Amino acid sequence: MNRKLTLALTTALAMSTLLAACGNNNNSSEPSKAAESSAPPASESASPSAEPSKEAEPFTVSLRHIQIGDAQKFRKAILDDVVKKTEAEVPGLKFELDGVEDAANRFTKLPAEMAAGNQPKIFDLFGGNADALKYAKAGRLLDLTPILDELGIKDKFLNVFGQFTLDGKIYGLPIGGSVEGVFYNTELFSQNGLNPPTTWDDLIKAADALKGKGITPFAMGSQAAWVPNMLVNTIIGRYTNGFPNGIVTGEVKWNQPEVVAAYDLYSDWVGKGYFTKGELGKSYDDMLNDFAAGKAGMMFDGSWRSSAFKEGAVAASMAGKVGFVALPALPNAAGDQTSLNANYSNGYGFSSDLNDQELAAVKGFIKNLYSDEMQLRGLLEDGVLPSMKLSDESLAKVTDPVVKQVLDVMKAAGTTFVHFDAIAQKAVYSETELQLQKLIDGKASGQQVGDAIQKLQEAENAKTK
Amino acid sequence: MKSTLKNPAVYIMFVLPTLVLYGLFFLYPMFSSVYFAFTDYNGLDATEYVGLDNFKNAFSDTNFRTAIINNMYFIVFSVGIQVPVIIIFALLISNVKRLKGFYKTTVFMPSILSTSVIGILWQFIYDPDIGPITDFLGWFGIDPIYWLAESEWAMVAILITNAWQWVGFYIVLILAAILAIPKDIDEAAAIDGANARQRAWYLTVPLIKPIISVVVMLSIAGAMRVVDIVLVMTNGGPYGSTEVMASYMVNKAMKYGEYGYGTALALIIFAFALVLTFIYQRTFGRTERIEY
Repeated sequence: MNRKLTLALTTALAMSTLLAACGNNNNSSEPSKAAESSAPPASESASPSAEPSKEAEPFTVSLRHIQIGDAQKFRKAILDDVVKKTEAEVPGLKFELDGVEDAANRFTKLPAEMAAGNQPKIFDLFGGNADALKYAKAGRLLDLTPILDELGIKDKFLNVFGQFTLDGKIYGLPIGGSVEGVFYNTELFSQNGLNPPTTWDDLIKAADALKGKGITPFAMGSQAAWVPNMLVNTIIGRYTNGFPNGIVTGEVKWNQPEVVAAYDLYSDWVGKGYFTKGELGKSYDDMLNDFAAGKAGMMFDGSWRSSAFKEGAVAASMAGKVGFVALPALPNAAGDQTSLNANYSNGYGFSSDLNDQELAAVKGFIKNLYSDEMQLRGLLEDGVLPSMKLSDESLAKVTDPVVKQVLDVMKAAGTTFVHFDAIAQKAVYSETELQLQKLIDGKASGQQVGDAIQKLQEAENAKTK
Repeated sequence: MKSTLKNPAVYIMFVLPTLVLYGLFFLYPMFSSVYFAFTDYNGLDATEYVGLDNFKNAFSDTNFRTAIINNMYFIVFSVGIQVPVIIIFALLISNVKRLKGFYKTTVFMPSILSTSVIGILWQFIYDPDIGPITDFLGWFGIDPIYWLAESEWAMVAILITNAWQWVGFYIVLILAAILAIPKDIDEAAAIDGANARQRAWYLTVPLIKPIISVVVMLSIAGAMRVVDIVLVMTNGGPYGSTEVMASYMVNKAMKYGEYGYGTALALIIFAFALVLTFIYQRTFGRTERIEY
């Protein structure tokens, strides 16, 4: 009897230890209860400066950013200032910064966190079907519409919410914008008596002349195919009306003659040796290095690269020697030749799972980051086009020659269109990358590329219907 | 005390915690992944049962078929080329009189390095602009080869790097077996007039057959689950030409959030590895116990 009792007690003790280890900590479950009750659209409670008189209870808010490495140092400095300012304003707040490389965050870390529902409270977010809209549909993102109204900044934004809006609600705030075009080495061009590549003839003439002198016409790093896809995106836009929005509605097909012509043009340029030799083994950074070292005369890239060519930046040797133009009008092409690829696709999103304190922190963060001051700093220090309206007076402060040219290019554009990665489904976009690399390696023709992508596009379109 | 040990409840009490942990961290994840393999689970949308669709998709997907073939290359390369090289090096090192420890350490070194370090090191070696291979080929007037950028070369480049990483580890295994063979057997053969090559081939190799069999099996299993070196060096590129089953699974599950499809792929990889090692064990892998 005694032994049985001992045995029973020991078993009970072992089981209770096990169960205690498996159970939830009561203390930690309280904030999540609060979060449930304050789920969006909780706008009435807690403003950024909520009840400063009360003794502040310390709390932390996780903040995922992608401003790592030397090339991002200007943007990181802006973020640091916003963090400091917000921490000073919201009692008890401490941001926990978590810097993750751009592609690792976008394609690996954030999707996994979204699936598990444990995303950071504030995080870097891309717009479009494959990112923001997908997460918004799953209820992971905070509806920002009431916050923008409360802070009174909604009308200060340019027309930039397209890739972040679902059913009339805004789920992300683009930090800035960019256009994609041709950077060229003005020194190399003048040494060789070449005109700036503002017309198609001049562009081709320059490419041939540079090639003849043993200089690569276009620096290219196609190891990650989003890099050459930038140029392909603009060329398709020049050839085809209704691109890229038409690809999901079926109005534009990847294997229609205009799109195939764009791929054929790219293939033709590869054949003529216009791009860096062995581009499939070259990274995005290699592309900049080749251009900065004068090994290549031109480079097709986003306007965000302008910050690399200033004093103290990664390609400072090129300061004052870089020009920027839009891809010139293509002769005999059906699309709008003044159109420009412009994107307001990257910014910040916020978790829908916030308690009152965290919501106050989020509001403070938005108020401080999306301000005239920080937008102007982004433009002046980092060359990022503002996503908010800036006065002419502010814009006149721009002295960087490349940024000035970027602004001119933007002004001259007739229409703009977004990159197709914001429109196409993830699987389709990935197929475009794979097929483009095949094209570059000479393993597929423009028609084969178009057919392969269209096949997948139709399957994906059917899924969403 | 005596009667306590006769009580089955005591045994259950001791075994139970382990069983619970085993169930929690092994059985539950395994069976739940079997369940998810038949769904379109992506963590965000409502999960639906899709039957065998994931498996059908996998085998009709040309990229996955390329990945399977690449895994087969890994097996053929590691069994057909790596293992003979391992045996030859082990025999050579076992016969050196001086600096045996130095050779052992040197060949073993790569296997203690992290795969990321090895990947980056070899990316430099293969670099078409500044890599030593380019310089070497240049002496013979051969143009630079874009090892990791051309689909024809990328797989070969990875196979060589992977072999470099693991050969040393297996050499040390086989070396231990060779050194465990009693010296008098070798000496008797030498007195009978067998030369070094004959002794190696007719004596040493048959005596170390069991360990060779283990090395082959480990090579097959290793080739089936290879992924890190591919992710570091090419991430499956260019255009999926170096994709292996596991890297394809990682990309599908993690990058595209298709966790249901990903777990189906994991099951396929598991089945492949199981079948191959089973076949090997039932055929060539059967070895008799050797008594000296």
